[in-house]
Amino acid sequence: MKRLIKIDFRKYARNRTFRILGLLYVVLVVFVFLVTESFLNHVISHVGKGSPVTVPDFSLYSFPYVWHNMTFIAGFFKIFLALIVIIFVTNEYSYKTIRQNIMSGMSRVEFLLSKVIFVFFISFAVTLVLFLTALFLGIFHTEHLTVALVLAKIYFVPAYFLEIFAFLLLAMLFAFVLQKQGLAISVFALYYYVLEPVVAFKLPDAIARFLPIKMITHLIDVPNSSLMKLFGVNFRETVSWTDVWGCAAYSLLFIALVYLFLKNRDL
Amino acid sequence: MQKEILEIRNLSKSYGRLKALDNLSLKVERGSVFGILGPNGSGKTTTLGILLDIIKADSGEHFWFGQPPDSVLRKRIGALLEQPLFYPYLTAVGNLKIVADIRGVPYDDIDEVLEMVHLSDRKLYKYSTYSLGMKQRLAIAAAMLGNPEVLILDEPTNGLDPKGIADIRNLILEAAGRGFTIILASHLLDEVEKVCSHVMILEKGKKRYAGPVDEALAGSVIMEVAATDPEKLQLALKKIAAVKSVARQGENFVLTVAEDLHPGLLNKMLAEQGIFLTHLVVRNKSLEKYFLELLSDSQ
Repeated sequence: MKRLIKIDFRKYARNRTFRILGLLYVVLVVFVFLVTESFLNHVISHVGKGSPVTVPDFSLYSFPYVWHNMTFIAGFFKIFLALIVIIFVTNEYSYKTIRQNIMSGMSRVEFLLSKVIFVFFISFAVTLVLFLTALFLGIFHTEHLTVALVLAKIYFVPAYFLEIFAFLLLAMLFAFVLQKQGLAISVFALYYYVLEPVVAFKLPDAIARFLPIKMITHLIDVPNSSLMKLFGVNFRETVSWTDVWGCAAYSLLFIALVYLFLKNRDL
Repeated sequence: MQKEILEIRNLSKSYGRLKALDNLSLKVERGSVFGILGPNGSGKTTTLGILLDIIKADSGEHFWFGQPPDSVLRKRIGALLEQPLFYPYLTAVGNLKIVADIRGVPYDDIDEVLEMVHLSDRKLYKYSTYSLGMKQRLAIAAAMLGNPEVLILDEPTNGLDPKGIADIRNLILEAAGRGFTIILASHLLDEVEKVCSHVMILEKGKKRYAGPVDEALAGSVIMEVAATDPEKLQLALKKIAAVKSVARQGENFVLTVAEDLHPGLLNKMLAEQGIFLTHLVVRNKSLEKYFLELLSDSQ
């Protein structure tokens, strides 16, 4: 296990693409976190004009709501992370280094495991960035800070981790099966933006809910801000166990599919 | 100690309708330098790919060190397959560290193997800046890392200059001298002849010959003859039983003759028929001749 972590770390640590994309992601996400509130307040104060309901200025950043709000916003950027995963898995095919790895004495299972670790590492790192940013924002924006308040909805953080992990494993599956970088990226994007939404639209809701992307994004629902209340909609403010188990099951399924795919294939 | 390092039983592999390997069986003994010879597309790389778990066979099995293959056994085998395969953005050392981690050997060995292939002075440059010859040498270094018991080298002198080729040959001979078992695939007959103790000749996925190189070369002699009247000479040659084959090369005829047909005897037999040779050369049989002979038989 430690050996696999070391091997994969070597492959990415010195890679410029990885460093730049990683840095870009962190800068982008933190920036978005920081400006969302003022942006929304700006929008709301415009919408609220002439409205019979008075819309109070509100803070996205106060505990415990900050966890839900930030994990939801961060969810929009996961496609960027999927790109990193697809690039680095398909690189192993285009450089044919997967051959060299296997020839040198890695088993196919170990190779797959090293990529699962890579996905885990990315999910963990972005969750950590989110956790720290949200924590600081919360501390500075909550008036009566108590530990209970901080912990109240902190389960959104592990839920976010699961969302990213499952999503990136799906990206990994596309990368392993399609192997060519451009092809994998475009087919994955097509599936994410077009194919699944269309299928989901055609299917009855009770079934569509179990489609992979639907399930993964449903894990963290839209937060109920005063903005939403203004429109009279009400979203779920908790994480449902159905979604958690669903995402965990999908994660295992994606790994199993890659395993079956790799097991008997010429590299 | 296990005498056989590798045993292959009835290996077959098809790519669609093309049969790349057809029921191949083979044994390689410890300490031998085993050459796999064959024209392009004869199944050399497919065979080696299967032995390294890169390619999955359709049927048949193989055993390394008398055991069914797995990734742990593969760590005792160093291999270079077809072309060097490394991360272009890493240095030679960075790439070899990955190989060392996979094999579970210390990094100290890296400098040693880089020294062996004369890459020490470029070891901290990125792989993408290397010339083809340097890439090939790095791949050989990777194969030798951690002193594996078996070296598999698929066209190891591809892309090397004459000095590089000589270096690699010396490296192979040196490694063989130290008791490594070496499996060398090549389409360069001369290369195999110079370094190998055993050879297998593959053609269209079928084994045409397997055994010691000496035996492949024994059994017949090559002669080259010419006379003023080539047609008459050709007719006369065909009547001599000890002459196994006659091939015309311009004014000369190249003959494969039985070992007991002495050049003096041949000359005498022809002279008795009024044919006087203007040219008579006895050539040592090379693997190349044997190889071409084998392949022409099958057509």
